[in-house]
Amino acid sequence: MAKSLKKTSWMKMCIYKSQKDALLFAIDVSKTMQKAPPASDDKKADTDSGLTAALKCAYQVMQQRIISNPKDMMGILLFNTEKSKSNDEHDERGSLGYPHCYVYVPLDVPAADDVKKLKSLVEDGEDTEKVLTPSKEPATIKDVLFCANQIMATKAPNFGSRRVFIISDGDNPHLDDKKMNEAAAVRAKDLYDLGVFITLFPVGHKDSTFDLGKFWNDIIFKDPLAELTDPETVLESKSGSDGLTLLKSLIKNIDSKKTPKRAYFSSMPFEIGPGLTISVKGYNLFQKQAPARSCYVWLDDEKAQIAVGETARTEKDSTRDVEKGELKKAYKFGGEYVYFSPEEQTEVKKFGEKTIRIIGFKDRSLLKFWMAIKKSIFIYPSEEGYVGSTRVFSALWQKLVKSKKVGIAWHIARKNANPQLVAIIPSRSQSDEKSGTPYLPAGLWLYPIPFADDVRAGPEPQIVRTTNELTDKMNKITGQLQMPRGLYEPHRYPNPALQWHYKILQALALEEEVPDKPDDATMPKNKAISKRAGGYLQEWADVADEALAKHQEQKAIKRELDAEDDDEPRPKKRTKTAAASKKTDDDGSSAMTDAALKKLVNSGDITKMKVTELKEVLTARSLETKGRKADLVERLEQWVEENV
Amino acid sequence: MADKEATVYIVDLGSSMADCHNGRVEPDMNWSMQYVWDRISNTVAANRKTWNIGVVGLKTDETDNPMAEEDGYNNISVLRELGPMGMAGLRSLQEKIQPSSTDVGDCLSAIVIAMEMIQTFTKKLKYNRRIFLVTNGESHIDEDEEAVSEIATRMKELGIELTFGFKEEDKTEQKANNEGLLKQLTDACDGQFGTIAEAIAELSVPRLKPVKPYKTYEGPLTLGDHQQGAMSIDVERYFKTHKATIPPASNVVLQQNHATQSGNGEEFQSSGGNFAAVSNERTYTVNDPTKPKGKREVLYEELAKGYEYGRTAVHISESEHNITKIETTKGFAIVGFIPQDNFEPFVNMGDSCMIVPQKFNDEAAIKLSSFIHSLHELESYAIARLVMKDGKEPLLVVLAPHIDLEFECLYDVPLPFAEDVRSYKFPPLDKVVTVTGKVLNEHRQLPSHDLLETMSEYVDAMDISTYEVDDDGERTQEYAAVDDLYCPTLHRINQAVRHRAIYPDQPVPPIPPILVKYAKPDEKLEEAARTRLDDLIETAEVKKGGLGSHILILHYTNLIILVPPKATGKRQRDKVMPRSGLDIDALLKQPEHKRAKIDPNNAIPEFRQIFNTSDDEDVVKDAAKQMGQIIRDLISDSMGDLNYERVIEDLGVLREGMVDFEFAALFNAFLLDLKKKILSGELGGDRRELWWMLKGKGLGLIDNLTVESSDVTPEAAAEFYKK
Repeated sequence: MAKSLKKTSWMKMCIYKSQKDALLFAIDVSKTMQKAPPASDDKKADTDSGLTAALKCAYQVMQQRIISNPKDMMGILLFNTEKSKSNDEHDERGSLGYPHCYVYVPLDVPAADDVKKLKSLVEDGEDTEKVLTPSKEPATIKDVLFCANQIMATKAPNFGSRRVFIISDGDNPHLDDKKMNEAAAVRAKDLYDLGVFITLFPVGHKDSTFDLGKFWNDIIFKDPLAELTDPETVLESKSGSDGLTLLKSLIKNIDSKKTPKRAYFSSMPFEIGPGLTISVKGYNLFQKQAPARSCYVWLDDEKAQIAVGETARTEKDSTRDVEKGELKKAYKFGGEYVYFSPEEQTEVKKFGEKTIRIIGFKDRSLLKFWMAIKKSIFIYPSEEGYVGSTRVFSALWQKLVKSKKVGIAWHIARKNANPQLVAIIPSRSQSDEKSGTPYLPAGLWLYPIPFADDVRAGPEPQIVRTTNELTDKMNKITGQLQMPRGLYEPHRYPNPALQWHYKILQALALEEEVPDKPDDATMPKNKAISKRAGGYLQEWADVADEALAKHQEQKAIKRELDAEDDDEPRPKKRTKTAAASKKTDDDGSSAMTDAALKKLVNSGDITKMKVTELKEVLTARSLETKGRKADLVERLEQWVEENV
Repeated sequence: MADKEATVYIVDLGSSMADCHNGRVEPDMNWSMQYVWDRISNTVAANRKTWNIGVVGLKTDETDNPMAEEDGYNNISVLRELGPMGMAGLRSLQEKIQPSSTDVGDCLSAIVIAMEMIQTFTKKLKYNRRIFLVTNGESHIDEDEEAVSEIATRMKELGIELTFGFKEEDKTEQKANNEGLLKQLTDACDGQFGTIAEAIAELSVPRLKPVKPYKTYEGPLTLGDHQQGAMSIDVERYFKTHKATIPPASNVVLQQNHATQSGNGEEFQSSGGNFAAVSNERTYTVNDPTKPKGKREVLYEELAKGYEYGRTAVHISESEHNITKIETTKGFAIVGFIPQDNFEPFVNMGDSCMIVPQKFNDEAAIKLSSFIHSLHELESYAIARLVMKDGKEPLLVVLAPHIDLEFECLYDVPLPFAEDVRSYKFPPLDKVVTVTGKVLNEHRQLPSHDLLETMSEYVDAMDISTYEVDDDGERTQEYAAVDDLYCPTLHRINQAVRHRAIYPDQPVPPIPPILVKYAKPDEKLEEAARTRLDDLIETAEVKKGGLGSHILILHYTNLIILVPPKATGKRQRDKVMPRSGLDIDALLKQPEHKRAKIDPNNAIPEFRQIFNTSDDEDVVKDAAKQMGQIIRDLISDSMGDLNYERVIEDLGVLREGMVDFEFAALFNAFLLDLKKKILSGELGGDRRELWWMLKGKGLGLIDNLTVESSDVTPEAAAEFYKK
């Protein structure tokens, strides 16, 4: 009989999987789901039925995914529908296969048409396909699950992550029919074995609670990728719970599950000391989202199409075509190439195996604010490689929080990756009142420390120090303008450039009117600022003027004294400072005043300025600084003509 | 602007330089040339036209210099006139650096020649002038006090820096004498005097490349509405940190036509020949069902610009190309303040910058200073919105005060927006919450009191806040401070490339220790903390192997049950149950749920279920055979590449199952057959693309590293991929 040396769970070695996510909404359209909430005079009262809330949620998720996961798939399957429509027209079972299941949006990367269809259904209630008519007989859950199974198996084969979100209010769909329940349970296990994970979002009604024990507990499995200590509660969405409407409550529950949890690295050895290693997983909890790059579109056919680019390589001088196998890697050196064989290349870049190896601990205060170079990675223990990792990790975490210390570690993220020195910083638990980041989980962070090579020198320092009086005035302002709860909370600030980009794209894609003004939550609330601190700002400005006058007086005296002391080298310097102080008397917001610039332009002396000086003048006016000197001069001349 | 440089190296080529000294096995010449080559190759690597190098040979057999006519200038040769140096220059120079058969030659005369070379070359222009002299100082120098002081004066006039490389203890009298003379000269012209040993030691410390300050923003920093007497301070913002670029390797090809290269010497050819750069050309295709392969090539000129919205292409016309860009005006505006304690460093999204008052602007300086001091006194940070230039996307940054004796500024780092944060959930680390909502403070996954204690002691013992040794030998300085951290990859590549350029035939040199100094804890520190660590290890009871060596029961309500594997017996497997704990495997054995044959439409689940529940080897083998047939059918029925991903998934599942059951031979036989069928076109035409995909996904033969009983070696498994 076969005997395994090491257990190889299928969850662990899916290297052949593609890193893509497919999400299928399975939404119940039964009569009870469509029941409107009781009428109320309260403006904040719920107006959405369970179904409307579910569809609105799906619509919102679809829009968000186009931005955040542009390559990932999504689909919507309705069940308990009068009509039936299956995944695939060519399916030999036809629509008979899954009665009362209706594939409303086929699983795929969403297209503008899908968004449009869903939008008109959600916002205008236009049900052109008449799909929202509930069936007289309910669909069986076994059919719903097998339909989802077929959709996933054929439309999203080999995806690294496949999930079904079921939204329903029926806690006993087969009315305790044991045979039907068992058949559903078997189909649920099929989905699990296929690697599809089911999440249930129960919709509760006012008068009753959703009882998972009646049926659904046989259907829901633990997510194999979840942490061992994670109990994974099923969150019921209900009107009025936590003072939220049904829609808000459903959105909140779905939001927390919307992105599949993907590890950035796993089975990472974490060497706390020589001879003490535990295993951790790493997660990218921060990922800069930017508008997707523009692409090339082919317009000559009926429908616009994206042109797919391919790269052909040629030898530079002879333009001879180059085969892939011919390519070699070399470094430029003194105008020629220095070559290493692939083995030598590996040797050059080899700094050891992947690891996080602690080399010591430091006071947290030694980690200066400016020592920032790139985003941090969140790490969390896993028992995969070493049993007992979680408790050791937790002990380290508690110690670092308590003693205000950070670990310093040598980190190689992947095989042959560039080594990086990181500080290991704890994030407090979310229930901790002292936490400055209640939106982030408790754990440790790998915070990259810059190398000496990454630190830049600043300009020549110059200093004019504030007076105590002036600082006091500023303190009044600073004290008045605290952020809400004294925190920076990212969820309050959507990226205005990103949102605008997709808003316009959506309008163009759906052939709607293009909006004219973006929402920008990052704009300072100037009205509130002047209301709260307007008076203090004025006082501060007045004191600043006094302090400045005093400072300049002193400076002038000192200069005279210096001039008396030593006449020779001074005149040169004096003109310079004199020019500088003259500058500050004017507007001062640019390297040269507009008047002075105009004079230069008119006299033609502008051509005598150096390129660096010209650039400075241009930059100060937010003008383009590219091009040759003649271009720069021309640009300035034009600017003066138009503006001064 | 980059500084211009004129550097002359005077190299002692005397016959005594061919000897080995002080227990070295390397001749003095090669040893001391390390330093010179390193310096020269640094210049070559920079590839700057304004950095000029000249080389003078001292104690050469011939005499070849502009002053050869005069007395005392014999046996000195100009090996290379001042000029920019490339690889070709480096190679021809290498040939000339050979020990001569004489030991006659006056190094003072050589210095005079070098001075003349520099003077002729640089005239009165602005240059950094330098002379390096490397000699063993064994031969006679005309002792002429007057000449020495004259040279020094002239040297100062010309602004030439002089550096001597000299060497060795246990010197001859002659040498000691010469050293004294040259020391006198270097002192007289503020030069440096050192031994080659020192110079070579200095080489191991990586050199940092200074970068000019880069201004990222210039304009007002405001608070409040500009119309209503708001705060407005003119500031400049510069990079404080910015990732130094690691030299990239470029794609090259071996040049086909060797004859075009002018004589570079045979030995270099052997190191890899001549390379030509590779240029990339893009071609574009669109789907067109009427064409073979369903694709049609289109010309770049015929394409319009656009964006993807989901899978829909949105075309943006030329006149509207900026339509999706948000309109912004340049500005830097404070949004609000937060207490410093509420900011965590790990939320920063990138480089830091420094903000200083506008140059020569006292008003801005005093105002900014009051802002900085206020943040400092109230222990606050400011949040601000930054638009670097008109039309640039807005950023949110957090501003921190920095006050030093002679310097004040604000530092800023970028903050994440709502979209940049992923809301993954993780269970808490200090308690365990069960599915029923019960909170446990004691659990196998939580540290015991003892573990917390030993961890605390270990962490304190490994403190390196003041572990670095200061000038007095006391441990008072921060260990691994930023100034001491050199980017390992960057300097390693530079080192290897320079080494290869100078010594094309030698293997890659070892990594300099300074680059891996912080790869491990300091040995002495480790030793001191050893007992604490031993305590910790004992208390922690961490076991390697992880869950893999246990039977894992994924049960919803009981969190997890670990059952140690029996010494003998059945294969271990997952036992998976839903929340209710219903035994589905048992259910599947009941007649109404039993599955006779694997349904091709539900192949993966049914195959996995047979593997997980059956102990009958024949049943398992039969399931594998059925799976094989399903895979072949999928390939045959595939329209183009439609089913390929499914094939990969099925094959992957099959392979995993076979590895688990150690049926390597069965799987390997199947795969060999499949490969043959795919490549011969037996499975519905040309399926070579599928073969490439399988290769790319690593779905190959099961070798005997994976399954002991396999008769395929890893080498054979690799060979299998090669056609």
